[in-house]
Amino acid sequence: MSFESWIVVIVNILLAVILAVGTTPIMVWWERRVAGFIQDRTGPNRCSIYGFRLGGLIQSFADMLKLVFKEDFSPTHVKYKFFYTIAPAIVFFCSFLTFAVIPFADVLVIDGFEYTMQAIPTELGIMWFLAYAGLATYGIILGGYSSDSKFGLLSSVRAAAQVVSYEAAMGLSIISMLVTYGTIHLNDMVVFQGQIIEFFNIGGTSIGLPAWGIIMQPLAALIFIVTAFAEANRAPFDIAEGESEIVAGYHTEYSAMRFGLFQVGEYAAMSASSAIIVTLFFGGYHIPWVDTQTIQSNIDVVFGVIAASLVVITFVLTKWMKKNYLWADENDSRAREGKILSKAFWMMTGAVCLVLVLFIITGLGTNGINIATAAIQIGTFLVKFFLMSLVFIWVRWTLLRFRYDQLQMLGWKVLLPLAILNIFITATVVVVSGS
Amino acid sequence: MGVKTVPRHGSSLKDRLYIPAIAGGMKTTFKHFITNLKDTSNLRTTQYPEVQPNDITDRYRGVHRLTKREDDSVKCVACYMCSTACPAECIDIVAEERFDGQDEKMPKKFTIDLLECVYCGYCVDACPCDAIRMDTGIFSLTGKTREEFVVDKEYLLNNERSKDFDDD
Repeated sequence: MSFESWIVVIVNILLAVILAVGTTPIMVWWERRVAGFIQDRTGPNRCSIYGFRLGGLIQSFADMLKLVFKEDFSPTHVKYKFFYTIAPAIVFFCSFLTFAVIPFADVLVIDGFEYTMQAIPTELGIMWFLAYAGLATYGIILGGYSSDSKFGLLSSVRAAAQVVSYEAAMGLSIISMLVTYGTIHLNDMVVFQGQIIEFFNIGGTSIGLPAWGIIMQPLAALIFIVTAFAEANRAPFDIAEGESEIVAGYHTEYSAMRFGLFQVGEYAAMSASSAIIVTLFFGGYHIPWVDTQTIQSNIDVVFGVIAASLVVITFVLTKWMKKNYLWADENDSRAREGKILSKAFWMMTGAVCLVLVLFIITGLGTNGINIATAAIQIGTFLVKFFLMSLVFIWVRWTLLRFRYDQLQMLGWKVLLPLAILNIFITATVVVVSGS
Repeated sequence: MGVKTVPRHGSSLKDRLYIPAIAGGMKTTFKHFITNLKDTSNLRTTQYPEVQPNDITDRYRGVHRLTKREDDSVKCVACYMCSTACPAECIDIVAEERFDGQDEKMPKKFTIDLLECVYCGYCVDACPCDAIRMDTGIFSLTGKTREEFVVDKEYLLNNERSKDFDDD
């Protein structure tokens, strides 16, 4: 392997690791702050390092440190220590591996070699996702069962009931997507979504919508998103955790980093779900109406637009910070944070803009343009990914928890027939239109 | 006896679809989120302890103070009545002889452990000289160490009657 391929592989794996595991503190932070804002309260905003609170992000790191340094306690009544120990690892590992097949950018070409921008460059795609996302639930079932407590057992039963209710509908909704895209490879699916459905043509310019999954298959998208919530064990389908009824469900008997692994696994599952939703239905790494070739041929314009939008974003952000980064006590070190952060953001924006302008002036080689395109697409993917995660959090603080029989009713009586109907419609359309 | 028929909801198509109701709920939470994100002063949270609660009545018992005579000398005569009456045993007095002609004794040391204090006001009732009062209007004292809550004679003497009382 050449030097470039090492770099590309390492970047891909790092991206997957960071997005699956490294985003957990950010997700926890968002969860708390968004929950606070939705309920008209602030959420954690005090924990600081030298006065830097970063809007409360430091609190998640403090909590992580606490989990790491806590005593690794396991109750004496647990009979099967092996299963008890391995359960959180299964949840964590499976949720984490799910991320390995998400394409972060289009196929990258460096010196004629093609690199698939996935952590594991496999073409199994959606099958890999289904396999590992399904396995993660077994960790939950095993954890609850082996912790030998009523709450854990109840939670395991609930988790099992949950699996049988959503998996069928999820699989069938994916089948209609497979019929549409004609592939199981996720990157091919995203490339397909880069097309434009043409409505009408004015003087050679086609006007239409991007061929995103949600536009072509709204019903499948709805079913998949609902089942993805159930798959990620998020509200309104967090019946296995059920903190108001069965304490904490499957992780009642877990403490310290074993619990931490469950927690990270839960957020990794959420990240993986939002990544797969973005990949399947929201055009993956594509900027709407702009496919890979368009970026590559107009790279200077894209750089200019990015620099301009960065300046606008930083302006809005610093204005917001000036208004909202207030601390009642003027002498506290936390009162200075807003000004320092504003300066730092402006300096970062300035540096990035400078680099972009340099790129525009000097021009880039073919490899440079390809790498820049990949970076832009990774950025697009990240924006979509974080927005989808925000929707996950938003839904959690809006909807009430379903009862497990309600979820089964929903899964078998509503989603499953709808998914089958959708397959029929899709298949008919594909056969009739012959594409 | 009239019979009141309560309408049952949830059987219409709109209710059974879930989607309109979910969209409505998401709209509500999103509205709250955006208003609070745009301007965090809309949040209901009080940034305690920097911002103190202002809805506590003045007659509520606050942190103690030691009153003074007209010539600014300490009124307390170190009779130990307050520390005897104290159910939490949080008042610690050491007496010394007094030479300023006002009285025979005065406190050399007068500390109150506010973490032990139950704010019952028995010390105020027990005092024969009206030397200790709980009318400072300080209802929440915050600190980072336990030692900060053991307040001494100087602190208690410097505390003043709450400005919120308009009469004496």
